[in-house]
Amino acid sequence: MRTLATAQQCMNPSFNRQSFLPQISFNRSSEIFRSRPSLLAPHIHLSSEGTRFPVSKSQRRPQNNVSGDTDDMFDELLEKYGKVVFQSNDQKSPSEEANDDAESLSFAVALAKVANEVKGADIQVLFVKPLVYWTRFFIIATAYNMPQIDAMRTRMSDLAEEQFARVPSGDRSPNSWTLLDFGDVVVHIFLPAKRAIYNLEDFYGNALSIELPFDSQSSYRN
Amino acid sequence: MIQPQTLLNVADNSGARELMCIRIIGASNRRYAHIGDVIVAVIKEAVPNMSLERSEVVRAVIVRTCKELKRDNGMIIRYDDNAAVVIDQEGNPKGTRVFGAIARELRHLNFTKIVSLAPEVL
Repeated sequence: MRTLATAQQCMNPSFNRQSFLPQISFNRSSEIFRSRPSLLAPHIHLSSEGTRFPVSKSQRRPQNNVSGDTDDMFDELLEKYGKVVFQSNDQKSPSEEANDDAESLSFAVALAKVANEVKGADIQVLFVKPLVYWTRFFIIATAYNMPQIDAMRTRMSDLAEEQFARVPSGDRSPNSWTLLDFGDVVVHIFLPAKRAIYNLEDFYGNALSIELPFDSQSSYRN
Repeated sequence: MIQPQTLLNVADNSGARELMCIRIIGASNRRYAHIGDVIVAVIKEAVPNMSLERSEVVRAVIVRTCKELKRDNGMIIRYDDNAAVVIDQEGNPKGTRVFGAIARELRHLNFTKIVSLAPEVL
């Protein structure tokens, strides 16, 4: 991302518009009004296709330190050219996103298999991408004691590092709620009592549950 | 900018309603705490008949501050109140649900548990 002027600088009419383009960058889509470059800086020759002066909607709110001229100018531009919704540059095409989702799914299923090998119970893989933006899959598993939690945690970390080259952040020692954060996949390992207390499946009840290729519900203890 | 004697709301259903900060965990002699810092607090007000009681000393993570949080991309987040989530010695939240929007920074500070209980993540 280019380092550009702050919003405050852009609102200052005396600010030198020749050197900087106003910049508002958000990770999610934000509303930006398109303006023709020639109106703001007539002495600069810019092509109208590639260059925009993105300005966020928040700048249109009247502020004490901004002259009325700037507000009028933005109003004028809005009336002339209408509202354009701008998407940030890091948005991927649907096919790329689907590929990423498939990769994350295979990773999540591999981790769930590991949990099954360690005799974890009630393993669920939830597709939470439609609900939250910060991750794609949740894996929720129950382990019955701390050594089992530790085994599950270390095996998952090892598998992720060897096969998928990913290092988890989160708990480094076993905990009654052990969390491993792989970025797009988050693993929750609970003791049975804690799982009932926190009840994440209820909180993410709208999430799609992924079918696993093994019997995830079997528990030899009850 | 939370310092000792600051009153904070509680952003979860642990049973506490209001906390007063008494110490900031981290470097000794640290002046202020921000979003994502752990503090030691005493419960000043509590909901009756819950596990936490008034004048109990607990640890909490700050999740909302009136002092704005700046991000590298220029985004600034400023809440209308100061709030914290009570945690236990293991780092697990004492409550089961968290209220209010939580900033993404908590995930990078290893509080993904709180983020996963949050209704909205900014």
